[in-house]
Amino acid sequence: MVEKTLLSVENLQLHYQTRRGIARAVDGVSFDIRANEALVVLGESGCGKSSLAKALLRVLPRNVHRFSGRIMLGETDIMNLGQEAFRRDVQWTRIAMVMQAAMNALNPVVRVGEQVAEPLRVHLGWSRQRSLERVAKTFELVGVSTDFLQRYPFELSGGMRQRVVLAMALVTEPELVILDEPTSALDVLTQASIMNVLKRIKQEQGTSFMLITHDVATSSEIADRVALMYAGQVVEVADAGDFFHQPAHPYSQMLMASVPRLRQEDEPAHIPGQPPDLIDVPEGCRFADRCPSRFQRCDREPEPFRVSARRHVRCWLHAPDATGGGDS
Amino acid sequence: MSALPAATPARTGWLRDLRRIATFTGKRLIALILTVLVGVYLTILIANMGGQVDDLRMLQIRATVSEQVRADPAFFDMPSEERNELIERQVQLEVERRRLDEPFMVRSIDYLAQGMQLDLGRAEEMHSDSGSREVYQIIVERLPATLLLFGTANLLVFFVSVWAALWLSRRYGSPADRSVIALAPSSAAPGWFYGIFLILIFAFLVPVLPAGGMVDIPPPEDSWAYAASVMRHMVLPVAAMFISSIFISIYSWRTFFLIHSSEDYVEMARAKGLPSSLIERRYILRPTLSPIVTSFALMLIGLWSGAIILEQVFNWPGLGTLLFQAIGYRDTPVIIGSVVIFAYLLALTVFLLDILYAILDPRVRVGIEGDNR
Repeated sequence: MVEKTLLSVENLQLHYQTRRGIARAVDGVSFDIRANEALVVLGESGCGKSSLAKALLRVLPRNVHRFSGRIMLGETDIMNLGQEAFRRDVQWTRIAMVMQAAMNALNPVVRVGEQVAEPLRVHLGWSRQRSLERVAKTFELVGVSTDFLQRYPFELSGGMRQRVVLAMALVTEPELVILDEPTSALDVLTQASIMNVLKRIKQEQGTSFMLITHDVATSSEIADRVALMYAGQVVEVADAGDFFHQPAHPYSQMLMASVPRLRQEDEPAHIPGQPPDLIDVPEGCRFADRCPSRFQRCDREPEPFRVSARRHVRCWLHAPDATGGGDS
Repeated sequence: MSALPAATPARTGWLRDLRRIATFTGKRLIALILTVLVGVYLTILIANMGGQVDDLRMLQIRATVSEQVRADPAFFDMPSEERNELIERQVQLEVERRRLDEPFMVRSIDYLAQGMQLDLGRAEEMHSDSGSREVYQIIVERLPATLLLFGTANLLVFFVSVWAALWLSRRYGSPADRSVIALAPSSAAPGWFYGIFLILIFAFLVPVLPAGGMVDIPPPEDSWAYAASVMRHMVLPVAAMFISSIFISIYSWRTFFLIHSSEDYVEMARAKGLPSSLIERRYILRPTLSPIVTSFALMLIGLWSGAIILEQVFNWPGLGTLLFQAIGYRDTPVIIGSVVIFAYLLALTVFLLDILYAILDPRVRVGIEGDNR
């Protein structure tokens, strides 16, 4: 699984101008995704996960205050691409996305086959016939009957719509597919079958995935790597096995402890307190107020410290010069 | 899987849609005819006060007839009994002529049949410009003037504002956007208000345009010169209506487009990297076409009635002026006739709208046929 880096994000910042002030939705995020790797981005609601996804595909709202950092896709510095070049060469040809509100992601008055075929026709200039044939293949791949090509979105159930949206993201065979909460509105069986589709596509086509979710259990099925976000920052990024079995950041530990397990005696723990307001983030470590291991250094903001070759943790407990304070 | 699908399902898809539209249209047509029937019948009942107006009519007939007989020198030396008999006979004749001896309910059905066939009867006081007393003629002769003036103004306002709104919705918060918002309250004043100022300025201070009327007096012989003259007369009233409604119209369409351009599927289309012209056409205009067409059709309906004050200010010979005069004369057949014609036009517009909806929006098509997935 050791392969070349597909996507490299460095110090990405996406701040919004709001009436109350500047909301720092994505604030200094760095991570890599390698080819054929699935990175799961975990985090509570409002921690900036979706903003991160939108920043990568440059689907920005009108009120952006600051959008900076470095995003390398293969050899291309996509931050420095002009709007038109980005639209033509990156959007949907190299990075595609399944949006959070997949239920509403389909145009209500256009047949779904046409909608899924659209990127092929617009970006690759394919004929209608050829595009529809490819769409039919993709439909089979994600488990949608080809009879549905001629249907309108409202004639499809929620699960089917979700699959159609997934087909739309896969149809151009992009290198990276970003999935923003792809299953959170679905029942457990549909969730499982969609996760299976994703796993199969990853194996068969070597696609990389960035899966954004708050659902630890579902994400563990597909994750190679995990990035945990808190208040606009990645607090820990590590290989999935390491993260799930030995979380390093206090927030990661508390998060894992809060996941209910089948044969577990004690109650799932919850994390007291609230995540900070993204408009008014506290000085120092953003998790400090809720952290049981808080100590003096936490008044200053920690960097993402490199703990091992594959793990970075944004916590003073893991600073290179830390003397092992705390209980990790 | 190999001999794939695009062609066959496409055809069946269209067939299915056609069948749905046809069924839908048939049902709507029947429903609308019933609606017009009920509407016109209610108007007849109300205008006749459920038959009570007949008593007034009887009194009126008797009064008129006795007046005529008494004033006629030929009957001066007739004995009063004979004269009364004559009056009775004349009254009887008039009553039979107007069929007032039959029960009102029977006659109301006849009125209804006549009304539905656009046989609107004769005016009591008014006559058309060409001298006809047929209500239908009176109304139809005035229609073109109103349609010309209000059609021009409203079509202009509609298309300019939709186009400008789409343009502004791409430039949210720009100086142009802000100025339109700032100017929107200008629509608080009606068209005729601006009309008065326009007449003052362009007809009196700087006399370049006519102050009122529809054509020069005497009308030019040559048809091109006639058209040019009508156009010159239209400039000020059209400008007045345009000024009074353009900014609020742009403003509301702009808000409409802004709301719809933040739909999830529009964001999805942006993420897909579609060119913005395609997004605007297929993802913003196409799904919102139904409300746009509705507002267009409502505007068309509004045209039929004209505008009383504006037509008065510009001395325009349209339906607004006509209605104003009819109310002044208490000429009920003309008023009822307008209502009947209006009901018909309304039903026709709604019918066309329904068909358009079914063509434009697949959800409507299915909704009527029932759930048959």
